[in-house]
Amino acid sequence: MSFRQARWDEPAVWDLAPPQSVDPPAPIPGMPARLCRKEAVRWPELSELAVIRHYTRLSQMNFGIDTSVYPLGSCTMKYNPKVSEALARRRHAAELHPYQPESTVQGALEILWKLERILAKVTGLSEVSLQAAAGAHGEFAALLMVRAYFRDKGELDRRTEVLLPDTAHGTNPASAMMAGFTTREIPSKDGCVDLAALRAAVSDRTACFMLTNPNTAGLFESEILEITAAVHDKGGLLYYDGANLNAILGITNPGRMGFDVAHLNLHKTFATPHGGGGPGAGVLGAGETLAPYLPVPRIVKRGRKYRLDYDRPKSIGKIKAAHGNFGLDLRAYAFALAHGEAGLKHIAQRSVLNSNYAAAKLGTVLPRPFRSLVKHEFLLSGTPLKARGVRTLDLAKRLLDEGVHAPTIYFPSLVDEALMIELPETESKRDLDEFIAAVERAVADTPAALHAAPRSLAVGRIDEVRAARDPILSWKDLRSKAAKVEAPSPVSSAP
Amino acid sequence: MERWIPDEAGEEAALRAALGISSNDELFVDVPKKARMGRIGIGAGREEAEVVAEIDKILDRNRPTYRYATFLGGRISTRYQPAAVDAILSRSEFYTAYTPYQPEASQGMLRSLFEFQSLWVELSGMDVANASLYDGATAGGEALLLCRRIHEGRRFLVPASLPWEEKSVLANYASGPGLRVEEIPYDPRTGGLDLDFVRSAVAQKDVFGLLADVPNGFGHVDEGLLELKAILGDVPFVVSADPLALTVLEPPGSYGADVVVGEGQGFGIAPSFGGPLLGLFGCRKEHVRAAPGRIVGATVDVEGRPAYALTLQTREQHIRRSRATSNICTNESLLALAFVVYATVVGPRGLAALQASLAEKARKLATALADIPGLKAPRFDAPYLGEFTIELEKGSAHAFLGHLEEHHILGGHPLADPRPGAASAGERILVAATDSVTDRQIQKYATVTRDFLGAPGGAV
Repeated sequence: MSFRQARWDEPAVWDLAPPQSVDPPAPIPGMPARLCRKEAVRWPELSELAVIRHYTRLSQMNFGIDTSVYPLGSCTMKYNPKVSEALARRRHAAELHPYQPESTVQGALEILWKLERILAKVTGLSEVSLQAAAGAHGEFAALLMVRAYFRDKGELDRRTEVLLPDTAHGTNPASAMMAGFTTREIPSKDGCVDLAALRAAVSDRTACFMLTNPNTAGLFESEILEITAAVHDKGGLLYYDGANLNAILGITNPGRMGFDVAHLNLHKTFATPHGGGGPGAGVLGAGETLAPYLPVPRIVKRGRKYRLDYDRPKSIGKIKAAHGNFGLDLRAYAFALAHGEAGLKHIAQRSVLNSNYAAAKLGTVLPRPFRSLVKHEFLLSGTPLKARGVRTLDLAKRLLDEGVHAPTIYFPSLVDEALMIELPETESKRDLDEFIAAVERAVADTPAALHAAPRSLAVGRIDEVRAARDPILSWKDLRSKAAKVEAPSPVSSAP
Repeated sequence: MERWIPDEAGEEAALRAALGISSNDELFVDVPKKARMGRIGIGAGREEAEVVAEIDKILDRNRPTYRYATFLGGRISTRYQPAAVDAILSRSEFYTAYTPYQPEASQGMLRSLFEFQSLWVELSGMDVANASLYDGATAGGEALLLCRRIHEGRRFLVPASLPWEEKSVLANYASGPGLRVEEIPYDPRTGGLDLDFVRSAVAQKDVFGLLADVPNGFGHVDEGLLELKAILGDVPFVVSADPLALTVLEPPGSYGADVVVGEGQGFGIAPSFGGPLLGLFGCRKEHVRAAPGRIVGATVDVEGRPAYALTLQTREQHIRRSRATSNICTNESLLALAFVVYATVVGPRGLAALQASLAEKARKLATALADIPGLKAPRFDAPYLGEFTIELEKGSAHAFLGHLEEHHILGGHPLADPRPGAASAGERILVAATDSVTDRQIQKYATVTRDFLGAPGGAV
């Protein structure tokens, strides 16, 4: 596709109107002078139009789902319905303070309660909390619940180990570490958990096994019932990473597969917008074993009234201020209502159909590891390009020139030069065919062109090594650098 | 809602034909029969108009803050957000983007985040800031973990006046590595930190960090903050600060803070029943490689033009896995954008003027509530900006606030930990003078309070 991104030579916001005055603000009566600012905050004073123009121009130098196919594997970049945006901005939703009396927020509590019920059914787990702000936050909270459970059982001293497959998302081992566990990787065999290796590793030291299914190779772990049984047999618990739930909505669920606790990402499966990095909303689902440990407050219904219940003696307490990301929960509720029973299942069917279609076509362009039937995403390997001196990174950058976002690259690490591609249910056959054609053109392009990519964006290939070696992380850094060197630095934002 | 899944005539059949399958069931033969589920058990799908009607019906059961005289605060603000902020947040190039893993395609968000980081550096007096964390409370939790990475010890000190929710979050972040969160008593007259307690705790050599908040959990500004660094020495010092307060107060970097965190929601973001919020996090440069979360750095492209990218990623979970500084992946980028757009639309003078006007309203409220028998307002004798604590000498905080609500006043929130068995320090309420309250509403607050307490002048 012929495409050129806007290329504004836009100065940094502070260069639009360099701050003049450093006079301190008027003192606050009653405030001791030594606590008061001696200099005003250094920041520009701009007209509203100047601000709007600045950030509008910046927005034009950014890909979103609304502009581009966004095939990031494990990120489930699907269309974010506009109706959810409109609903979340209702004054009766946005202008609610979390510390209002319960009687004045019955509608908000009702939405949270009803969404919890829907998600409990989707996950097959008995209770759901919406307090976590994101998936990784849910992982951390769930592992604290696992910890509390084993403490109550008197087994915490022994059960210090979390097992996870070598294909696990990076957040899994990081969350386990934050929750005070050590981690041990279970090798994969043909892209799935090596059951024999798991059986050999699981022991009375195992607190839990963390798994995403379908996994990051896009494969359904078909031995899932054997996996969960193997861990349960040794007294361990099962954690379900719901990042990839999109592929199995209405087909199977974590409860059915034998998991004790799960997180979901509403910003993936339930289409809340990802905001350029966040906000997300992490759902925490727990079976009967761990439900008493969920964060407080729990939302309960008594007669026709909804209440916040803090009387959960085993609860881990709070993991975030207030009740979770209500603005996102409301969007997800609208999404679930609109889809209903058949619609949610259709999501799984269509996303898996899209994925297999694209995988079959692209499997003739680049090699695909492992078996051919995949779920929500699939892997390609860029290794054949190496002979031409081209790497997966070059291919990713070249795809940007086609007006599509690049897939997730170099993950999972068990595949050399990996590209991980996810094309959710909202992408049409026409979008898929265009994406496939874009990959074909990119692969067929000359090494010189691939190395020179991207050429159609606001900037060319970025020197990320330099960013890390000589970190410039703020305007303050830019100022001190400018003060050190006489000549204008290449990173100066002056036009 | 059919139209969100493309259904051009025969489209799915064509996809299946290309795969040589006749039914979608063939796509799921790898899911063992025993693991299959039956029906989900939720209703049928609905048209968009029906969804809107249903959700509006439920939302109508809410009474939003604008229907009231609103005195609610405590890190979460109801203040007016200029329409310009939402206009920028509604640019779908921003809000439908993912984390900027491909920097060349994401310069807009990366540059916005760089400006956001720069603003928090200016406000906090730190050297570096990250691109956001979940909220102020979890930013405190991450600060605690950073302190432990840079200093030995088992004990982390926090004010006893810290909101109970934040203490609970901190205790959770501390629990993994087996660390202890310990409360610093406060002076019963001023609510300020007991500095002698801090001195003796630090002398025992087991303290790896201290967090103090400004304003504190009682709404007051504690002059003792300025003494802490001298007491702490090389023990890391975290300040949790309100960003609006920092437009008129000294930046914590100037009195020795090593980390400055905060809740950024009041800058451009509606309260939305408490989420999403915005965690602010900055620290000194020497600790940046121990810091959590995404960080945007300035660099150049192949032609030497200014360009921005996520940097120092070897700290992060997707590279370092179990040795990462944090598990955080998704943060609050869009809210970070709101923060910098809000601050720039209002401008530094406007922000300081706003804080000054809130402080003036709070003084009027304190004057109106002073000398009501049965009420201590403010409870503590210390400077304040827009909030302070009141204490009932009779009656419960819940009954009092319920009474105010019947008179169309959201009068604040109880400070007590609502969990059964939690220690209570009396019927205390945090009251905030918000930007929307009028002089008349302040007088009405006082009148209704007299009425509740059976004090003279209470007829409404």
